[in-house]
Amino acid sequence: MSDRVIEFREALREAMSQEMRRDEKVFLLGEEVAQYDGAYKVSRGMLEEFGPRRIIDTPISESGFAGMAIGAAMMGLRPIVEFMSWSFSLVAADPILNNAPKMLYMSGGQFGCPIVFRGNDGAGGQLGSTHSWCVEGMFSNVPGLKMAIPAFPDDAKGLLASAIRDDDPVFFLESERLLAMKGHVPEGDHYVPFGKALVRKPGTDVTIISFGRPVHFCLEAAEELEKEGISCEVIDGRTIRPLDLDTIVASVKKTNSCVVVDQSWSFGSPGSEVAAQVHAACFDDLDNHVMRVHSADVPTPYASNLEQEYLPNARRIAEAVRSALYVA
Amino acid sequence: MSITLTMPRLSDTMEQGTIIKWNIKEGDEVASGAVVADVETDKATMEMQVYDDGVVARILVDEGTQVPVGTAIALIAEEGEDPSSVDDAPAAAEPAPTEAPAAEAPVSAEPVTAAPETPAAPAAPPASTATGDGRRIKVSPVARRLAEEHRVDLAAIAGSGPGGRIIKRDILEHVERAASAGAVGGTVPVPLPSVEPGAIAVPVIREVPALESTEVEVSGMRQTIARRLVESKQTIPHYQVKMCFAMDAILDLRASMNEKLAAEGVKLSVNDFIVRASALAMAEHPMFNASWAGDRILVHNRVNIGVAVSLSEERGGGLVVATIRDANLKSLRMISAETKSLAGKARDRGLATEEMSDATFTISNLGMFGVDDFTAIINPPNSAILACGAAIEKPVVRDHQLAVGWEMAANLSLDHRVIDGAMAARYLATLKSMIEEPMRLLA
Repeated sequence: MSDRVIEFREALREAMSQEMRRDEKVFLLGEEVAQYDGAYKVSRGMLEEFGPRRIIDTPISESGFAGMAIGAAMMGLRPIVEFMSWSFSLVAADPILNNAPKMLYMSGGQFGCPIVFRGNDGAGGQLGSTHSWCVEGMFSNVPGLKMAIPAFPDDAKGLLASAIRDDDPVFFLESERLLAMKGHVPEGDHYVPFGKALVRKPGTDVTIISFGRPVHFCLEAAEELEKEGISCEVIDGRTIRPLDLDTIVASVKKTNSCVVVDQSWSFGSPGSEVAAQVHAACFDDLDNHVMRVHSADVPTPYASNLEQEYLPNARRIAEAVRSALYVA
Repeated sequence: MSITLTMPRLSDTMEQGTIIKWNIKEGDEVASGAVVADVETDKATMEMQVYDDGVVARILVDEGTQVPVGTAIALIAEEGEDPSSVDDAPAAAEPAPTEAPAAEAPVSAEPVTAAPETPAAPAAPPASTATGDGRRIKVSPVARRLAEEHRVDLAAIAGSGPGGRIIKRDILEHVERAASAGAVGGTVPVPLPSVEPGAIAVPVIREVPALESTEVEVSGMRQTIARRLVESKQTIPHYQVKMCFAMDAILDLRASMNEKLAAEGVKLSVNDFIVRASALAMAEHPMFNASWAGDRILVHNRVNIGVAVSLSEERGGGLVVATIRDANLKSLRMISAETKSLAGKARDRGLATEEMSDATFTISNLGMFGVDDFTAIINPPNSAILACGAAIEKPVVRDHQLAVGWEMAANLSLDHRVIDGAMAARYLATLKSMIEEPMRLLA
């Protein structure tokens, strides 16, 4: 493991710069990514290194620049599209959902779409309902795309590098709340394969699966539950599509209990999908039905206390674990 | 209206029986008193009679099948009834009421040496989803799987989950309790080792050589021994008190009596003397002829000494306790004759219920196998059992001198709810004085 500690946002930058140095077809476009170093300073200094032809400031027109990037990808380039927030991608739903993921299929294999859409996803902290979207619920529903959702800085670099090299459209979901998080990140080439979940904390009594920021809530809950004598195995899914069911199943067969934690709304979500697949694969191994912890089924509240309560926080996860284990 | 034959209760501890052989087939006429089947109970194989006349309409249970007491096993068409019209599905038969008095028939003290070489798991019914009354059992999938693996009867478990759902914890606790009692032969799965932090979770399976066990089907008797002795050892607070008896005098007396009585076909064993001594000692020590009855003690007025009889291994092994009734009123030669007769019958064709029930104190003797000392498990509802080893010639101290003499170890197992240590010591002292001055046993 590298001794070097950097921020999550720097890890993202390293992945992009590394791939842009390696492959001149890779370029970054989005609002304020060049002159302003990115709204969240993810692309700081990249304009200097790669110049304005490869680090491109766009107008505030997601549908336009997303569509343009898809065209570029179809013609052989490898664009990285930064959405300041995934909430703003909704106006680009037609190109990113109706074109990119279907292109290979609809063109009979003539056009691929090797593109990365990346940006902040989920409640960023009092951003209000319209700017707090968790798009994994809606977008993971679409066949043809891949979806990565890192929870730690090393995965931010490794998964983004793999995303840029992937020949399919990748929806890359970051969290504003994690951008300043520091962690050990390998220098030089670092790739994390898609479809390989990671056991963040081994345990014996219950399997907790999550993706992205809520993985941290799970680890917090696990620490709390440990004091009660409950040993939680926390799995970081890392990618939602493809989903690493094998790692999850191996764990559930060991623990016989499963809690899925997902920051999107519960109805038709990655959480409900994982629960359904676990029920199918582990039916005879379960001691209780799979429990799910999601964001509350309401628009994201603005008030800070309500937002905290709305999220799948550690307290709600701990309650679900106790319930899954028939404890009190 | 047809008559339903049900599995009869042929002993007071019988809960299920096996039809060993049907003597009838469908269409046969039967008359009251006819022996229609041989039934293996928990103790013995017994004949089953019918008490009505009629025609056998249906045989409902195949030979070799074990069913609970009260289960319908055959239908008899009454006179004038068409056997072919008898409904296949008999009305739910109530279990036959027990007619015998509720005294527990004894099984025996079970010395560990008598355990079979390959302990087989008791054949528990498969995990079912309904109780006897048809109520659906709620059980989590993994609990169901574990119950099957450990051969646990779900109907016997109270679920602790919502709505009484049986969950993993309930099964594991049940198995643990049973395992600590030594009653379950199944294996407990070894928990998987933890995955190193940060490593990808791959299932780690540690290869261990299989045991390659052979399953031995257990007889009704073996099941009863297992059940009763687990119950005894789990519920009775056992403790042991041992005393050694000088056997020189009794061996001399026995030799001389046997020599003089040989012409009459009498051959007394050491055990006959012990049976008589144990019985006579009850006059002074009534608590040794008693039973713990939950909130009181029943002191029995009759002294019935149970003698453990081992059965030959060729015939499936096991053991029964033959009852010498009113042993305190019987002479040595009566005790000897009765013991021989019962032991022979037990080994040849099995004892009748009344020949095995109502013992109030039990003796287990392994002296004939050369065992010098062992302890026995109390035979409920007795409150004591005497385990005797062999009379052994050994260096002894007599009158402050080292000498060669004969000694026998007598080991009492006691129910501390009924008998305290000092009482046990006094009982053994009485026995010792009788054995060491054996003329007292002749009167």
